[in-house]
Amino acid sequence: MEIKGDYTFNGPRPVVWSVLRDVNILATAIPGETTLKPISATEYEGSIKLKIGPVSGVFAGKLTVADEVVPESCTLIIEGKGGAGFAKGTGYIKLTEQPDNKTLMQYTGELGIGGKLASVGQRMIDSVAKSMIKGGLEKLEKEVAQRL
Amino acid sequence: MEKKYLGQRVIRNEDPRILTGRGKYMADITYHNMLHAAFLRSDYPHAKLNSVDISAALEIPGVIAIYTAEDLGDYWHPGPVLVPAPHSIPGITANSRTQIPIVKDIIHHQGEVLAMVVAENRYIAEDALASIYVDSDPLDAVENVEAALKPGSPLVHEELGTNIATYVRQERGNFAECKTKADHVIHQKFIMDRGSAGAMENRGFCANWDEDAQQLTIHCNTQSPSGLRNSMAAWFGIPEQRVRVVVPFVGGGFGPKVMTNQPEEVLCTFASIKLHRPVKWLEDRAENFIGTTAERVQVHDCEIAFNKDGKVLGVRDSFLYDTGAFNPYTATIPLNTQTHTTGMYDIPVFLTEFTSVFTNKMICSPVRGAGRTYGVFVMERMLDMVARKLNVDPAKVREINLIAAEAKFPLETGIIAQDFAQFVLDSGNYPAVLKKAREMIGYEDFKKNQQPKFRAEGRYVGIGLVLFTENTGVGPYEGTKITVGNSGKVFASSIYGTQGQGHFTVFAQIVADQIGCKVEDVIIETGDTDKFAWGTGTFASRGATVLGNAYHHTATLVRAKILATASRLFNVPESELELGDGMVKVADMPDKFIKLGDLATKANPMRGTIKPGTEPGLEATGFYAPPYGATAYGAAAAIMEIDPLSFNIKFHKFIFVDDCGTVINPMILDGQLHGGIQMGVGNAYFEKLVYDENAQLLNGSLMDYLIPRATDMPTKMEIGHLNTPSPLNPLGIKGVGESGTIPIPPLYCQAIEDAFNLPDLFITEVPLSPSIVYSLVEEAKAKK
Repeated sequence: MEIKGDYTFNGPRPVVWSVLRDVNILATAIPGETTLKPISATEYEGSIKLKIGPVSGVFAGKLTVADEVVPESCTLIIEGKGGAGFAKGTGYIKLTEQPDNKTLMQYTGELGIGGKLASVGQRMIDSVAKSMIKGGLEKLEKEVAQRL
Repeated sequence: MEKKYLGQRVIRNEDPRILTGRGKYMADITYHNMLHAAFLRSDYPHAKLNSVDISAALEIPGVIAIYTAEDLGDYWHPGPVLVPAPHSIPGITANSRTQIPIVKDIIHHQGEVLAMVVAENRYIAEDALASIYVDSDPLDAVENVEAALKPGSPLVHEELGTNIATYVRQERGNFAECKTKADHVIHQKFIMDRGSAGAMENRGFCANWDEDAQQLTIHCNTQSPSGLRNSMAAWFGIPEQRVRVVVPFVGGGFGPKVMTNQPEEVLCTFASIKLHRPVKWLEDRAENFIGTTAERVQVHDCEIAFNKDGKVLGVRDSFLYDTGAFNPYTATIPLNTQTHTTGMYDIPVFLTEFTSVFTNKMICSPVRGAGRTYGVFVMERMLDMVARKLNVDPAKVREINLIAAEAKFPLETGIIAQDFAQFVLDSGNYPAVLKKAREMIGYEDFKKNQQPKFRAEGRYVGIGLVLFTENTGVGPYEGTKITVGNSGKVFASSIYGTQGQGHFTVFAQIVADQIGCKVEDVIIETGDTDKFAWGTGTFASRGATVLGNAYHHTATLVRAKILATASRLFNVPESELELGDGMVKVADMPDKFIKLGDLATKANPMRGTIKPGTEPGLEATGFYAPPYGATAYGAAAAIMEIDPLSFNIKFHKFIFVDDCGTVINPMILDGQLHGGIQMGVGNAYFEKLVYDENAQLLNGSLMDYLIPRATDMPTKMEIGHLNTPSPLNPLGIKGVGESGTIPIPPLYCQAIEDAFNLPDLFITEVPLSPSIVYSLVEEAKAKK
């Protein structure tokens, strides 16, 4: 599955960057009872509780931040598996300064899923992913506003 | 031969129990101390398994045991080859790989068992699965049969050095030479996929090891009780006589339930022997989609050589067949394809070769139709190509190429069949079936009078008419034991599996005719290995033919005993005795008669003497073995309208003509055809297991995998019969179980093309769907 989109934050790039790179904020931006613990400066371990149509379960996984160019861009690599299947994905995030102290975030990514998640939840995955991204971005926007 | 009940629409003996909810199915089987199993299955289609950590799951209250590969000890080994390779064909390649009960090192397909949890109930067992931690490294998977044969492809079985499982080449005549003599040669690629068997009831298994009696009792909805008994006896070193398999009522078989030595069977039995408690497992639908067996894609590269008068000189069909990760059933499916391609046509030259290919997918095994469907699909499509090329009516092209009514049967085809014997057409009148189908559907009237009107109205209404053969009733054998009891009831047992075909009635009809009793007084016992020990199983549309004739033969033996016993009793010659109404009568002497039950009592006295050299009782055991299969055949025709907005299909008319020789019960026969046609409709327009490029199944639920509903079916299926008795067996029966399924996909293609009437619309791939037909029609319009 391919993920692609952009979003404009009402805040300057360094603030948006700091929000994005704050692991505690990131954890709350993902719906479900998500936990993320740093295991190094660029690697995090955690779990996420997901429900996609008839499939639900806890996924344990790892998030790695690579190719980091502060405060501009980075690559996110996620790997997770649980009772309901597995997911493996790579995402690329780019922040560009905009007039009026705004920041444009462009994101592209590819997500591969397998197991019950794919065989039973297939028809719901696109819409679930979209709604998760939308909800997450709104949370991040709120955090950016608080830090201004 | 007595024929009071044979051929009658006798109401089914089994229906009162089933229809009032009193029939027991696997879910109803229970023991007071029974444990429940659940299986952890691989999410990855191909991976290296590093470790399975069960420690957390073992802590869950109610979990009794968890088993991984190491726990099996000497019981861990690959299962046997269930069907051997056709070694009677020279020059074959046969690489065999069979599945193991639990993965030890390499995962070969999604759904393979990694661990088994045994718990006090299924809820606990399922919860425990979520607490097992599996460490595995995914490997590149083999998904596509064509890519699998290219250099550099990942290998399903690394040590083989190839993904080729089996290669078989058979040739009648010389195709290369034939091509040079033909006016036209057309080359075309075809793809046909087939799906899940989709039985209403999934698999179920319950093993109960009695340590005291050293006896294993298995309840299972298998199609092959004898095969299952033999396989578990062999696996665990128990005498066959100490393994009892009992099959309750079954909610549909359709093929996959014929498989034995399945991981779940081995593991439940293992756990019961270890734990001294009954262990039961019921497969859920999600497991069924990834962990059982199905049929799958064949890719055909075809050539047809023909003259300008429409006469076909020769056909070449080279195809690839996706056998999945293991091939315990070897080549039954592609051999059936080979034997059914030229069907009832007089095609002198035929070259057929297949390569069966390993992929990282669930195992392939026959599903109703079992390979025949592919052969019929490519042949019928090729004849439609000939019709287009020569601008001749498709039905006419078929007529030109049919084997003549005067042909001297049996006709040898030179092609080895699934029973490793040469495929022989035993009997038939093929022009008659085409004629009857044309009349029933109103072929000429539709083309001349109705279709022009529809076209003028802008409606898409088309006609299709296709022909097929079905090789049925293959060996090796079946047997029965029939006993007339003291009550006058007749007990007739076999080991055969039964899944709703009406066995309790049709076999009772056959027996009743010989014994001279009522159909309802014949109690048919099926699928209990303690009641009768010998037989093979339910497959290849062979029940009515092979077991039916075994019942007939055994009943004649019992009849002979009845007559001999009564002759001694009344002191009259057997020729003066009459059997009927549950009694033996002396002809023309109304006061001299005896009820069958009373005769049975006299034949087995508790004191006194019986005639030395005779056997007590009115009982006999008998067998029937055919030399080769009896070939049924028929036609399907339909007038269908395609909605130009939804591309849903509405049938204006649907007819089916079938010749399965002697008919035992026309009502049950129609039911078999209705069900078969429904599966054919699924194969044509609905059912396909969709995998991504990593061999990951994408539609593993009945939300996404579509089985046709009642509203997708023709509202009326008119069925016509021809009756050419098979000379191979005394009753003249040919099988019918799979006939309905076989011709439906090419029927859809022909009728859809006829409806749209576009020169560039020619369908080469099935299953179709509304969106696929929409795209094909748009493409064809764009070319125009």
